[in-house]
Amino acid sequence: MGKNDYIGGGIFVALGVFIWAMTFQFPGLDKGHPGPSLFPQVLGTLFIFFGSLVVYNGWKTKKVKEESPPGEEIPLNSFNPILVIILIAAFIAAANKLGFIISGVAILFILMMKLRVSLLKSSIVSVALVCFVFLIFSKVLRVPLPIGLLGW
Amino acid sequence: MDFLIQGLGLLLAPKVLLVICICSLYGLFVGSIPGLSATLAASLLIPFTFFMDPVPALVSIVTMSAMAIFAGDIPAALVRIPGTPSSAAYTQDSFALTQQGKAEMVLGVDVVFSAIGGLMGAVVLMTSAPMLAEVAMNFSSFEYFWLAALGLSATVMVSRGSQVKGALAMLLGLFLSTIGVDITLGYPRFTFGSVELLNGISFIPAMIGVFGISEVMRNVMQGEMKFAIARVQAGRIFHGTWGLFKRYKFNVLRSGFLGTFIGILPGAGADIAAWLAYAVSKRSSKEPEKYGYGSIEAIIDSGTANNSCLAGDWVPALVFGIPGDSITAIVIGVLFMKGLRPGPMIFEQQPQIIYAVYLAFIVANILMIPFGYLAVKTSSQMLRVPKNILIPGILMFAITGAFAINNSVFDIGVLGLMGIIGYFMEANGYPVAPIVLGLVLGPILEQNFMTSMIKSDWDLTLFFMRPISAILGTITVIIWLFPFLAAFLEKAKKNRTS
Repeated sequence: MGKNDYIGGGIFVALGVFIWAMTFQFPGLDKGHPGPSLFPQVLGTLFIFFGSLVVYNGWKTKKVKEESPPGEEIPLNSFNPILVIILIAAFIAAANKLGFIISGVAILFILMMKLRVSLLKSSIVSVALVCFVFLIFSKVLRVPLPIGLLGW
Repeated sequence: MDFLIQGLGLLLAPKVLLVICICSLYGLFVGSIPGLSATLAASLLIPFTFFMDPVPALVSIVTMSAMAIFAGDIPAALVRIPGTPSSAAYTQDSFALTQQGKAEMVLGVDVVFSAIGGLMGAVVLMTSAPMLAEVAMNFSSFEYFWLAALGLSATVMVSRGSQVKGALAMLLGLFLSTIGVDITLGYPRFTFGSVELLNGISFIPAMIGVFGISEVMRNVMQGEMKFAIARVQAGRIFHGTWGLFKRYKFNVLRSGFLGTFIGILPGAGADIAAWLAYAVSKRSSKEPEKYGYGSIEAIIDSGTANNSCLAGDWVPALVFGIPGDSITAIVIGVLFMKGLRPGPMIFEQQPQIIYAVYLAFIVANILMIPFGYLAVKTSSQMLRVPKNILIPGILMFAITGAFAINNSVFDIGVLGLMGIIGYFMEANGYPVAPIVLGLVLGPILEQNFMTSMIKSDWDLTLFFMRPISAILGTITVIIWLFPFLAAFLEKAKKNRTS
């Protein structure tokens, strides 16, 4: 994890510095006692301390790192997790305009197709599942899910 | 006695019984699917509990988690993959016995000893929680500050892998809890002008994101898993279980209490209880050479401990408002959502709810026998549910659940962001449970610290002046210093040897 520890630890150090920088704008209490800034400042300091430790450990690990023998690796599809996030973002953008059902069916259908579910199965399951979820949340639990285009 | 009857009345309401049955099946299903954890199941359950009364909401989590922890044993025995991390300790032994043609015996032991462990945990919860609540009635903000600090420190100490990374995950949770209007002056912190952020990061979407979306992301990366499933004759699973109980009754007693004790410790969950019980069992066994190659004793010990731990986890959650593990962190979120403040006062103000929770543990663990039998009978079908259809379904429930809390797409954004954070942190060896514990305990920690400081006119010594506060503070400081002391002692030992 050498290189990843550099990045991970570095991000936490940067977060600590950012927190400190932000807290300078926070007001204090009477008699010069710290107020809303105290707890974040403690956290910021600890982020810097522990983040630096991760960077240091990463540097140490890199120094002693040995080449691991080639083994059988499980094939992984690293694009799929990114697709999940893209689909969530697309749902956020489209839900109010297109409505819950259309947006939900679209993202489920795309994800299932990507996961190699057949076209027919993807179509049926995505429509059935979204309608089921819609019925539970909208009709039973009375959550005002956006109707969008289907509410004409 | 009146409260017990009232609690029983609440529990036996038809709606609550229906919730128990549905959540039992849900817990069994999720627990049986490798890769889906009890915490994920709990996080997906929360949006539904939002619309329930307090008793069915709490009972649903009790029942679901008990069933899920047991059901994790099924794929461990049949396909050598633990359904939940709590079954990992004895997966090798379970599968080895299955290969020896003893799958029925293993699954019977899993069902029966999980139920016994759960019942033992429930008894300890029923007896210890009211006593501890009496003690906690005298607690002030000083003790509560140290309890929260102790809970967080213990979480980091027992977190898997690097403790430094565990600490960073916890700090991230604490930082997220500071977003929004602060408690001392009402000043908006880290909101960047966003109206949605004024109320802070909503706990439920954040939690579904950390546990649910990150698990979806991990699962979609792997291809579809195909299992060679061992055949089981469900009708024979209870043959010989009574004989095993008589033979290993002391093991059951020891592991039941050990598991409950581990549960009471803040931060340590069922997986740690199972590993510890396994280690203790091996050390005291007459046949330690069988461990790892098919020891039924190992399965009895660990299976009893992980289920007894569940009730133990509820002790600090109910008495002090300090979660015992990630599931009880969710429980605390549910209690706040229902307008109930966990802590000793809940035993005075809402005792019937507490008694209903106690009884729910007993009912859930008794029901585990018939439901467990059903789960074993249908295990081969459950293990064949295609994950490439199940995972998109979980995504849909997660998105809808996050939206349902505040009817806001902003919360879906929080869900996605926390999912990304959870996914990358786990991929790089950071445990994610401390994020949720930090998020839950952050406001308790800060509020009690600021209250104590203002009360004491900024005199830090008062944190060590009250007896219980001093004890809790000393234990916490020792935990903080422990890694440095251990490193120093190891270095000194090395120097002496060389």
